[in-house]
Amino acid sequence: MSDSTMNFGYAKSSVVGAEELFTYEDVLRARDRLKVLKSRAAKSSLRLLWLLAGPGVLVMIGENDGPSMVSYATTGATYGIGFFVPFVLLTFLMAYVVQEMTVRLGVATHRGHSELIFQRFGPFWGYFAMADLLFGNLLTLVTEFIAIQAGGLYFGVPAWASVAIGVALVIGSLAFRRYATWERMLMGLAAFNLLFVPAALLAHPDGAQLTHALATWGPVPGGFTTAFLTLVLANVGATVTPWMIFFQQSAVVDKGLTRADLPQGRMDTAIGAVLAAVAAIATLVATAPLFAAKVDVSQFANGADFATALAPLIGSTGASLFALGILEAGLIAAMTISTSSSYSLAETMSAAETTSARHSLNLDFAHGRLFYGAAIVSTIFAAGVVLIPGAPLLVMTLTVNVIATLLMAPALLLLLLLANDTEIMGDLANGRLANLAGGTIVVAIALVGALYGVITAFPNLLSN
Amino acid sequence: MAYDPALISALEPGQLVAATMRPLPRRKLSKGVLALLVLLRVFILIAVPVVIYAFVHALLTPH
Repeated sequence: MSDSTMNFGYAKSSVVGAEELFTYEDVLRARDRLKVLKSRAAKSSLRLLWLLAGPGVLVMIGENDGPSMVSYATTGATYGIGFFVPFVLLTFLMAYVVQEMTVRLGVATHRGHSELIFQRFGPFWGYFAMADLLFGNLLTLVTEFIAIQAGGLYFGVPAWASVAIGVALVIGSLAFRRYATWERMLMGLAAFNLLFVPAALLAHPDGAQLTHALATWGPVPGGFTTAFLTLVLANVGATVTPWMIFFQQSAVVDKGLTRADLPQGRMDTAIGAVLAAVAAIATLVATAPLFAAKVDVSQFANGADFATALAPLIGSTGASLFALGILEAGLIAAMTISTSSSYSLAETMSAAETTSARHSLNLDFAHGRLFYGAAIVSTIFAAGVVLIPGAPLLVMTLTVNVIATLLMAPALLLLLLLANDTEIMGDLANGRLANLAGGTIVVAIALVGALYGVITAFPNLLSN
Repeated sequence: MAYDPALISALEPGQLVAATMRPLPRRKLSKGVLALLVLLRVFILIAVPVVIYAFVHALLTPH
């Protein structure tokens, strides 16, 4: 029996056509689809949206990860309520434009992003795209565990215990071997990203100041300095990253979305972008009292430092909510990012036909050894790095952010090429307007990535 | 495991694992696109080691 035959262990079926084989993965996905078809037939739009939502919300909330929330907190503490409030909204609009392309790619091709790159552009670009992603994801995972550890430390939980609980939860989430269960569990967890909203309310923000900031894109205290530019770049880097592209397309395919579901897929992405933008702006607002109190945050190492500094200004409840939000941000990102690595590795190996690897959260462990193995090994590795005594966590977080931002340029170019590929996309290929918006964003983000890298690697360059 | 074979009809034929295992044809890249991809690859291969160097330098520099 060949490897590929072994993977189709359940039955031959005449239901979908002669000689077609289907797997247990197909059966589980078909069950989910049946609910969708029934809801569509009953014209129950809200239930339909509920059933089809998931990848968009998870990818957007997942990107509100530990380092991103620290970026927003630094922004709020350095500039208060002003330019960055509308700017953060703009970055999430950019994220929506990019991520919407992945939804169209998923429903048009029923293939994950890595396997599509491998099949359409060949092994050379396929392996490079996968290697970029796995490298960036592994480093980013380390920063998520730094956030988990920091959140735990605020509540007096020893570093080893928070990290161990984090690892157990990430690996435990995979134990369901069911995409739908995994997705709903993470969506429940994602709701805790909104803990930053009550924390912001406890900071008693001035509504008029917020409205003024949204209307005028100001003020910018201190003017347009290198520090300001660095925060602009960091905020862009906190909103669009390579793992999001790979994750959402693979999740859309794993969930089983079709062309008919495209409106709900877009709505899911838009809802995710709005929720994530609200949490991001809330983080900025919650830390604005640090700006008013002129607290120097330049040496803050993680989210827990912000929570500690906020306690006398917004109260212990607000500070605790903030720390809990940081912990949640790291945890949910660790789950989504490790899964994106799993999808990418298994998709590439499957496309290369080096193994009979499948790539789905509906797989059992026997058929998904490579898929689940990638998430488990990368999670344990990242957790291990964080626990190294004396590890330079602050410098690591900064370096990881820069590398992730640098890796965006090739990922976005490949995305744009695929979204314009009419052979596979048909009428869902990018139109002129989508290319104008997408192309502008790709060029802008590529330049931002390069500039962010230069400024961070050579901080004295612009000041000389 | 018991299941209803008719259930599978809830999936579009292109969604079946068997269908997604069939590779899509390779696309021919134009010289311009290829040049852009190579350029970005070279950029990454230069930039990432520079950032790693900056990381190591930051670690070794006493503050």
